[in-house]
Amino acid sequence: MLVQIVVTQEPPPSNESIDWRIIARCQQGDRDAFRALFEAYKDRVYSIAMYSLGGDEQLASDVTQQVFIKLMTRIGQFRGDSEFATWLYRLVVNTCRDEQRKQRRWVPLADSIFMTATVKQSQTGQYASKELARHVQRALGELKPKLRWPILLRYVEGLSYEEIGKVLDCSKGTVASRLNRGHSALSRKLGHLRDQLGPE
Amino acid sequence: MKLGMFNHVSDFSSAYWHNELTPPQSRRVAEHLIGCSRCRAEFESAKLGARFAERLELVSPPDFLWPRIAAGLNVKTAPSRRFQFLKPLAIAATLVLLAGGGLLFFLPRQVDQRSGWQVARLGGTPRIGSEGVSDKSRLGIGQWLETDSSSRAKLEVANIGNVEIDPNTRVRLLQNSDREQRLELARGRLSARISAPPKLFFVNTPSGVAEDLGCAYTLEVDDAGNSLLRVTLGWVALQLRERESVVPAGAACVTRPGIGPGTPYFEDASETFRSSLSQFDFPADQLSQASALEIVTREARPRDAMTLFYLLTRVNRSERALVYDRLATLVAPPDGVTRDGMLNLNPQMMERWQGKLGLTWGRSLDQGAKKTWKKVW
Repeated sequence: MLVQIVVTQEPPPSNESIDWRIIARCQQGDRDAFRALFEAYKDRVYSIAMYSLGGDEQLASDVTQQVFIKLMTRIGQFRGDSEFATWLYRLVVNTCRDEQRKQRRWVPLADSIFMTATVKQSQTGQYASKELARHVQRALGELKPKLRWPILLRYVEGLSYEEIGKVLDCSKGTVASRLNRGHSALSRKLGHLRDQLGPE
Repeated sequence: MKLGMFNHVSDFSSAYWHNELTPPQSRRVAEHLIGCSRCRAEFESAKLGARFAERLELVSPPDFLWPRIAAGLNVKTAPSRRFQFLKPLAIAATLVLLAGGGLLFFLPRQVDQRSGWQVARLGGTPRIGSEGVSDKSRLGIGQWLETDSSSRAKLEVANIGNVEIDPNTRVRLLQNSDREQRLELARGRLSARISAPPKLFFVNTPSGVAEDLGCAYTLEVDDAGNSLLRVTLGWVALQLRERESVVPAGAACVTRPGIGPGTPYFEDASETFRSSLSQFDFPADQLSQASALEIVTREARPRDAMTLFYLLTRVNRSERALVYDRLATLVAPPDGVTRDGMLNLNPQMMERWQGKLGLTWGRSLDQGAKKTWKKVW
């Protein structure tokens, strides 16, 4: 019988959101436990891959696949002296960065992918809130990676400043500064849409 | 985070909004915002940006993802077509070696599948799970064998060869069948000596799969998942998804997680050549990559033609001209091979030149490998 995992649709709490027994069973090669781990984290890993890779669904799928295969092959190295989520997101960030480097190397025009994806989705007609979310995604895609990563980790993964610092290997103060600059940049790019946000 | 007594507080707007400041810091920011219109405006701007960022939504991956991952954990990824032309040659070389070794491998044989592989302790206290290795220990499928800083072990791979496990190494048996023997090397170093038909023995690492083509080699993996393959006999193919490098005896190849195998190189190449090749394979940026490629081509010796030959297919067209020109200087292309054809990677011309290159590369290899080179190339 599988040990129950705490899964939330809301951004995860800062403490462990996966039972350590599941991790221990993954370390012993238990396929069911790994499936449970995948179910617990798949949306968050996939979302961060998609947002960081310009909205390319195919690429995000490939990266998510890579992350979980790496996770399974390396989980034996996880010693529990860092939080599992921090360890996992560091793996996600590094894999996405590697993919970005490869895209730059092999497909110099990859930046246009996000625009294509956005247009395609717009044509299908979505609710206004979905449209606003896509505007945010696009503006996010225009930010420098060093400003984009703290925003993704904060709003997609729900990490604290300290946890973001651990994942990105920088200080809490640096995280605060980059988030601040990222927020201001989003504000400048999207200010004309403020009416669509509704009341605070 | 430090908050100066008399400074503006706009740098702390987001931290204040997210309640990430200490109570005294929060109070200080709140008091400052009341009296400073500039910081108040910047706070409102950051807050607006934060409210937009809150609109980012979780997205679910497609349903096919889990089956793909499950398959990826079990099955080697599809072989690359790019260097498929090398494989038959490597396999042919293996067969030549096997014939020289007494035709052992053409005899009908059954892989010994009795409950995993036999493990022998070579020193210290290697462990399988939490149990110390005894004289009759066996490593079952899914079990981890781990050595500490003072222990070593030896695995008998069914009846086709053996693998020595160095200190500080962690390996797991993934498959033990007639058709496939597969080990996972999570970290540390192993030395494999396999006397079997090609494509039977595999080692998974975090950055690629080593596929035995009849050989002896060492493979090591560091804590970041990078690996280094050094081939001492025969051939080994390294793969990650569509990227593949077939590495001959005397050569080495580095792999990186998420990227896969770099370009193979002979270990007696100059340090400058090897470090520049590494910068090319795993670049910090495009500029450094271009500069590294120039150094690689400049430093290449005739024996490094193998590396340049690989590079032809790994560079863009303008860079290919640079690589081709250097390669042609080191080893004159045979009749019928044209510059234009090679810049377009004409398969027939690639094959023809590869044949020509084989004769050159064999010169400085050791005697056993030299014969193999000549047979294959």
